[in-house]
Amino acid sequence: MKEGDGRINVQAEQEDEHPEISHYEFSGIDERHGVIPKWLGAVYVILLIWMVYYLIRFWTDKG
Amino acid sequence: MLRFLLSAAFWIVFAPTIGVILSIKFNYFDFLGNISWLTWGRLRPVHVMGVIFGAFTTAVFGLTYYMVPRLCGVRMYKENWSRVIFWLWNLGLTAALISLPLGQNLGIEAGEFPLWANVLIEIVLVMITIQVVMTVVHRREKRIYVTLWYLTAAYIWTVFNYAFGHFILPYSMPGVNNAAMHGLYIHYVVGLWITPAGLAIIYYFLPLSAKRPLYSHKLSLVGFWSLAFFYPFVGTHHYIYSPIPYWTQTIAIVASMMLIIPVWTVIQNFYGTFVGHWKRFQESYTAKFLIVGALYYLLGCFQGSTEALRSMQTLTHFTDFVIAHSHLTVFGTFILWVTAGMYYVIPRLSGRELHSHALAQWHYWLTVAGFSLMASVLTLQGLIQGTMLGMGADFVNSMVAMKPYWFMRTIAGVTMDIGALLGMWNFYITVMQGRRIEVPAGAVPEPQWT
Repeated sequence: MKEGDGRINVQAEQEDEHPEISHYEFSGIDERHGVIPKWLGAVYVILLIWMVYYLIRFWTDKG
Repeated sequence: MLRFLLSAAFWIVFAPTIGVILSIKFNYFDFLGNISWLTWGRLRPVHVMGVIFGAFTTAVFGLTYYMVPRLCGVRMYKENWSRVIFWLWNLGLTAALISLPLGQNLGIEAGEFPLWANVLIEIVLVMITIQVVMTVVHRREKRIYVTLWYLTAAYIWTVFNYAFGHFILPYSMPGVNNAAMHGLYIHYVVGLWITPAGLAIIYYFLPLSAKRPLYSHKLSLVGFWSLAFFYPFVGTHHYIYSPIPYWTQTIAIVASMMLIIPVWTVIQNFYGTFVGHWKRFQESYTAKFLIVGALYYLLGCFQGSTEALRSMQTLTHFTDFVIAHSHLTVFGTFILWVTAGMYYVIPRLSGRELHSHALAQWHYWLTVAGFSLMASVLTLQGLIQGTMLGMGADFVNSMVAMKPYWFMRTIAGVTMDIGALLGMWNFYITVMQGRRIEVPAGAVPEPQWT
């Protein structure tokens, strides 16, 4: 139940050159361990700050 | 597997066709006369339930049987159950969708099926969930790929949510409490079934169609856990400015905005996988439908998140802006993603080349053209209608002003339906008469255009 084009033979070579890649043998899918881009990290932080502000500011409708 | 996908092909044509009929009635309310079972109120749930459970869910079942064994490295647990599940599912669904226009309706949006149909559907959901979970438990592949996180979670969540929405909600918690719980139920259908099942599909087929490694395991983690954390709180955004307590509405608004995190995270993951290798977009219909679906996902979810804000709700509630959002996500994203999966799987399972490149082209372009028109028109008309009502216009006058937009929406729907018909017909002919792919013994077929 293997897919892809002979990935099993290439696997060891790939892992030596790109140790950050995981190979899923039976589906043929490869996956980088990868990073979280800085711009996206900034979006997370901004949204989390906004979340705290909005929850406090609009917890009741008397504000 | 193929049986599920071919029956999904039927539902993918049937359910949106009911949508076109409904759309025509906006401009021509006498269309199909006064026959009770052809009226708008009786047909609308056939469209909604047909798309969610017929088109999308049937395709997900078929793709589940393809993806899960390959990700686990073992055969599906209790493989022989799939035949029972196939017949129980399709016959039960057919009977349930016939019962709706005949007047059997629980009166809960996305939960209209009568009790006997809900029992059948719950049995199917439990059976297939057991299959998925036990296959993962008995797997040979050590690591669990992100598709399996989403699929396992989607099935387990839905077993509970379906039971909640159909065996508890219709029979308890009267009044405003029931509305609040319904908000949760309907958004769990969208966010804890359709969304994770759809993401499971694109995470599986995108790297394969791109012939590239997935961009980032770390982003997969952030996307999954942020979805699981924020989505359960979102549902009450259907009832902003209602008697439901103010603080619960605020929590729902905040959670809706925080969904920007999982959405932008997965989009970055998909874009990062393809960047620098867009040539595959031209060569593969799987890639085309996945990427276009991802674009609609970004647009539709940003629309949905901002729509929850109180200021936006004032403008858009009760307008077609809401319908634009639901179609951008359910059709524009998730139906396109299951279609992509079908383009990948059907030729490989049947061992036959896709029958017609021309039909696939027509399918793709009619879908993109028709759906882009529909999403644009509905969004625009929603904003216009909301502005008119906000400025004190008479409600009836605002309806009259919408008529040209509804007509354009019908044209768009017909275009999409023709595209779907051509695409699904292409799949059917592929299975029946497609040119066999010649491969050496033990090798896997690599069809063109997929």
